[in-house]
Amino acid sequence: MNDENKPVGNDPDGSAPDERPAGGPERGDAARGRELPSLQGAAPASGAPEDPGAPQEPQQLTGRQRLAAGLWPPRVTRAQLVVALLLFGLGLGLAIQVRSNNDDSALRGARQEDLVRILDELDNRTQRLEDEKSRLDDQRTELETSSDQAEEARKQTREKEQQLGVLAGTVAAQGPGITLTIDDPSGTVSPDMLLDALQELRAAGAEAIQVNDVRVVARTYFSGGGGDVQVDGKAVTAPYSFKVIGKPQDLEPALNIPGGVVQTLEKEQATATVTRAEKIIVDALRPAKRPDYARSSSR
Amino acid sequence: MIAVLGLVVGVVVGLLVRPEVPAVVEPYLPIAVVAALDAVFGGLRAMLDGIFVDKVFVVSFLSNVVVAALIVFLGDKLGVGAQLSTGVVVVFGIRIFSNAAAIRRHVFRA
Repeated sequence: MNDENKPVGNDPDGSAPDERPAGGPERGDAARGRELPSLQGAAPASGAPEDPGAPQEPQQLTGRQRLAAGLWPPRVTRAQLVVALLLFGLGLGLAIQVRSNNDDSALRGARQEDLVRILDELDNRTQRLEDEKSRLDDQRTELETSSDQAEEARKQTREKEQQLGVLAGTVAAQGPGITLTIDDPSGTVSPDMLLDALQELRAAGAEAIQVNDVRVVARTYFSGGGGDVQVDGKAVTAPYSFKVIGKPQDLEPALNIPGGVVQTLEKEQATATVTRAEKIIVDALRPAKRPDYARSSSR
Repeated sequence: MIAVLGLVVGVVVGLLVRPEVPAVVEPYLPIAVVAALDAVFGGLRAMLDGIFVDKVFVVSFLSNVVVAALIVFLGDKLGVGAQLSTGVVVVFGIRIFSNAAAIRRHVFRA
């Protein structure tokens, strides 16, 4: 409404006279240029605005004075009341709007299409996050099972290593079994008799055997002669003591069968004693020997 | 003075009572507030210019509000509500600034 009553030339009316002496030197050129046209129109308004208590002509009031006059003293006029009513409405709307913007999220004032767009974006985001979650879940399951598998494989490998170690003589073994003691006072026990005894024990299911201090393994050999027996090149002397781990109920009869090892030895003036034991410890060890040429063909 | 009191009372009542705005009016309230602000600044400037007429102020205030709300309503119906709201706010902002400049020249003489 004010664009049409915008009298630009009017407003510096009162200001020009008292402005010039006060702030003249500091004014920029633009400001001075703006004041210039007003000088012609404002020449009569040189009444001192410094004493507002004495305005000679009410028409020549400055804007500031009009504002002050409107503010104080309060006058209940129709104009004031109407404006107050409208401003009351404005304040109300302002406060409501500010409040609703404050205590709610930004969604409250949003329009429908914005809300739909936001909802779509949220849906998409949810979808993406769900996808990512399921992907990560899969990955985690995979990792867990694979680590379980690796652990299981390690466990089995360790067990196998132990079993093979017992067979290869690289680890000590213990378990139920028998002790076969062959005493040979007359020196007539030959290496092949001991070999027969060993084969009989193996056939009866012996799992770990030690002769005196020598661990018996697959490549064990006997050499020498009666009364001077070497096992794997190492001399052993009577009494020959076989420590055998296996099922005692199988091992003992295998040695004692008629015409078996014990009877054969006794024919040769040697004595053979078989003792069952709940716990036999086979603790003679062999160094693990890495084969020079043979390699595992698995994998 | 009474007018300023009216504004203050309006703000206080709005903050304290927290009235529920009907959903139909809600999208137009911000625009209406901006339009009313423009009218108020125009009226203040007219008063400083010494050409204030209460009838003109009332009519301009109400018509500003109604026209602004109408424009936004129309924009919503046409599907360009957001853009039109922005346009209306820009226009009112420019007018408020020019009016504020005039008021400033009156009050601060600069």
